[in-house]
Parts: sequence; C-alpha cells; structure tokens
Amino acid sequence: MKKIKFGNVISHFYLIILSICAVFPLAWLLITAFKNSSDMLNNPTRFLPTEWTLENFNTVLFGLKFTINIRNSLIIAVSTTLIAIIISSLAAYGIVRFFPKLGDMMTKVLVTTYMFPSIMLVIPYAMVMRMINLTNTRIGLVLVYLSFSVPYAVWMLVGFFKTVPIGIEEAGRIDGANKIQVFVRIVLPLVSPGIVSTAIYVFINAWNEYLYSMILMSSSDKTTISVAVKTLQAADIMDWGALMAACAIVVIPSIVFFCLIQNKLSGGLSEGAVK
Amino acid sequence: MSKSVTKSSFRPETGKKDRVRWLFVMPAMLVVLCLLIYPLFSTSYYSFTDKTLISQSADFIGLENYINILSDPDFIRAFTTTLKWTFFSLIGQILVGFTGALALNKIKMAVPRTIYRICMIIPWAFPSIAIALVWDWMLNGIQGFIPALLVQLGLTDNMVQFLSDPNLVLPTLICINIWFGAPMIMVNVYASLQTVPQDQYEAAKIDGANALQSFAYITIPHIKVVVGLLVVLRTIWVFNNFDIIFMTTAGGPSGVSRTMPVYIYELGWTSRMVGRASAASILLLLFLVIISVLYFIVIARWEKEGK
Repeated sequence: MKKIKFGNVISHFYLIILSICAVFPLAWLLITAFKNSSDMLNNPTRFLPTEWTLENFNTVLFGLKFTINIRNSLIIAVSTTLIAIIISSLAAYGIVRFFPKLGDMMTKVLVTTYMFPSIMLVIPYAMVMRMINLTNTRIGLVLVYLSFSVPYAVWMLVGFFKTVPIGIEEAGRIDGANKIQVFVRIVLPLVSPGIVSTAIYVFINAWNEYLYSMILMSSSDKTTISVAVKTLQAADIMDWGALMAACAIVVIPSIVFFCLIQNKLSGGLSEGAVK
Repeated sequence: MSKSVTKSSFRPETGKKDRVRWLFVMPAMLVVLCLLIYPLFSTSYYSFTDKTLISQSADFIGLENYINILSDPDFIRAFTTTLKWTFFSLIGQILVGFTGALALNKIKMAVPRTIYRICMIIPWAFPSIAIALVWDWMLNGIQGFIPALLVQLGLTDNMVQFLSDPNLVLPTLICINIWFGAPMIMVNVYASLQTVPQDQYEAAKIDGANALQSFAYITIPHIKVVVGLLVVLRTIWVFNNFDIIFMTTAGGPSGVSRTMPVYIYELGWTSRMVGRASAASILLLLFLVIISVLYFIVIARWEKEGK
C-alpha cells in the first residue's frame, strides 16, 4: 500500500502557491484587457468583468494605429532571427568541427560580452548610426539586435551541433561533397530541432527589446511595439484597459513561443558547464 | 569543384591551407568585432572627451569626466542603490528558484509536474514592457488590485502607494524582479538536479544518511558549479538591467530607485553629456569585471574539488 508522504504534500502546496504567484499577473492583465472603465473604477478587486468588451483592443489596434508598430516589430524580429540564425549556425558548426579550442573558450567569451551593459553599447550605436544615416531605420535596429542575439545563439547551437556524429559527415565527404555541401545537406537537417528552438529564443528577445529601440527609433511610425506601448503610459489620461490590451498583444506571442521551447531552455547552460 | 578534398584535410588539426573553415566563423567574428569590441573602445574613448549628444567633434579632456562622476553624490547614491537592488534581487531569486526546483524534483507524476513547470516559467516570458505595466497597474495607488485588496482585507487603512512611497519603492521593485528572475534559476537548477546519479542517493540511504545529509553531501557538490555560473550570469543581468526600473518608476520618486543604468541614461540622453555617460558606463563595466573575476575564482576552485 502506498502511503502519502508528508514531503510530497508540502511540495505540492508550495508549488501551487508559486504557480499562482507566477500566473496571476498574466491573468489579471488579460482580464483587464476585456473590462470596461467603470468596472475598474467601481470595484478594483472584482476578478471577472461584469461585461466582456473588445473595446480596448479596438482602441489600441485601430484608434492608436498599433497595427503599424506590430508590423514593425514583426519585420524587425523576423529579420533579426533569420540573419542571426544563419550567422550563428555557421559559426557554431565551425567551432565544433574546425576550431575545437575556440569552443572551450566559448563560455568565457559569452560571459565577457554578456557583461557589456546595453546602456554602454547604445552610446556608440547611436553615434555610428547617425554617422551612417541609419538612425530611425529598421535595418539599423536589426544590425544592433545582432549584438545580443548572435553570441547567445552561437552558444546554444554549439550544444546542438556537438551531438552530430562525425562519422556521418565523413561518409558524405568520401562521396565527394565539400565542406559547405556537407553542412547544408547533412548536418543542418540533423540539428533542425535545435535550430528551431534557438530561433524562437532569438525572436522572443528581439520582439521584447526596449532600450535600443527607444533610443534609435525616434518617429512613432517606425518604432517597435514595446516603445509604442510605453508612450501610451506617458499619455495624460491613463486608459488602463487599453494599456493592458496593448500589453496582451505584446505578451501573448512571447508566452506561446516560450512554452513551446521550455524543455530546451536549460540545455545550454548545464551542458556547457558540465561538459 | 573537383574531388581535390581529401580526407586528411577534413581533420581540424592538419594545419594545411584550409580557407573554407574560416568562412564558417568569419561572419560571427565580424559581429562580435563590430558590435561588441568596437563599441567598447569607442565608449572608452568618449569617456576621456567632452562629447555631447549634438556636437560633431569632441575634445580630449583627460580624466575630468571620471573626477566629476566620482565626486557626484548622485553617482554614489545610484551605485549603492544598484548594489542593494542586485543583492536582494539575487538572494530572493535564488531562494525562490532553488526551493521551487527542489519541490519540483520531488514530484514524480508527469502531468502535475509539467503543469507546475509551465505555470512557473511564465514570468520569464514576459517582455519588460509588460512586466513594468502589469505591475504598475496591479500596484496602482488609486485602483490597483493589490492595494485595494489590502484595504478590503482590513490589513491597511489606505491604499498603499507601493511605487511612489520612497520607503517602499525599492523593496517593491526587488519583489517584481524576484518574480521575474526566479523561474530561470528554477529551470536550470531543476535540470542539473536531474543529472545527479540516483544510485548515489540509494547508496547513501543504505549507509544510513538522512535526507539533509544526502542533500549536503551529494546534491550540493554535484550542482554547485552550474548554480555558480548561473549566479554570475544573473548578477550581471540584474546589475545592468535598465528596463524594469526605467519603465516602472524611471528612477523616482526623487531618485530613490535610480540605479546605475538609469543614471547613465539620464546623463547621456537627458543632460546630453555623452562623454560623462561613457565614463560612468566604463566604471559600471569595470565593477562587473571585478565581481565576475571573483566569482570565477570561486567556481574554478569548486571545479577542481569536483575532480
């Protein structure tokens, strides 16, 4: 007969509390987005709205023209992801196959560049972008976003490329394929699941980014969604319903994608350190 | 292309002329060089000049920026605020993340485990703008959920002004940061707990060790290197974090929650003194380098012990 362990009950209890704390802000954000303003004013602690409304989304998307900013964010995040993944998978494969010693330094390189404060990097970015006339352009912002996506993506991908057995590649080489053919036709398909998770991670980070976008994109029709939402907060009349609807639009893609890759997220760090 | 490629040139160590392999790493090296190394030197250079946001050229002024910053009481205050912000955020994140991972590791049933896991990592997926706004909303002093709930439960008489009371603002921000950062610690600690070989626990049980002893002598030594690295990365991240504070309080009220990155932003973009902002950011980086080196000395010692 199974007996119920005291430790297990405590664990469940603790995890339930943590889960509620973790999820509550998301739930509150989403529910507020469907509330009307009188609900919020009359009873701040009432959980469900008296009447569900889409008015807030209507205000945000069409009244405030957030569709333009969503489009900007999508273009910028997708371009960043594509470019970063191409550069990083080449580099990760190169490190694993041709420069194994460089691979041992990887963690140190990553931690070193990770130390650079973005507030320090943004100073020269702003100066250079103005010099080469890329301020307020999507290209400029994508270039800047590579600074944080490439190092991290390389690091994640090295872990995945390490799992490809060299025997398969040698077979391809004997059949007369050159290095690039081997890479594209044999190695890439084998690591595609790893590439997909890395791409999702890069996308989320680019989609969520705020500081660079705020400093480098000055006009409201060019800027990304985070900055657009922030300007809404600075407006004279705080419309919390609309603000939360805007937040919902930003947060939902992140959370959906994040849940898709949640199993892979811990891989890099523990493998990288334990070897 | 002919079949000139022989098997021997495929090996990494041959040292023969092999240009193709450079093609693979070149683009990434270029990114690191242009977007990370160059800016480092560029900022260091600005830090010795009187560069402003609008000026085309800048004059060399030696150490003047550094002297001005180090004698600025706002800098000292921002620095100590950053230390408090980083230290307490980290302690909280590790405490919650670690205990969460240990509890999760106890759950053997797959379905509840996955549900807990997914629920608990949700804060990690939050974009900083959403973190800032949702907490700003929940803590709002007029119609926010949490202050209103406290009044309803009879715990406070008035709506608590979490984000505008100078005594409460920093602890509140730290709690928000713990909420956001604990999931990352939890997921990574949980993953490394899974790598601890189960037979060691069984052997310890046979030898009569209790749960606390096997935790201290098996679990901790096995995972401490990963956890150590994690703590380094989190320290750096929290120290450099600009978004959460800038978007919730912008350093206010009256500078109580102004951390170094916010201070540097104000120097560079509000006061437009790019040279001085550069000097402050170099000081910030130097401090982080020192902290990280200290951490790595400790971690290297642990790694040796493990071998």
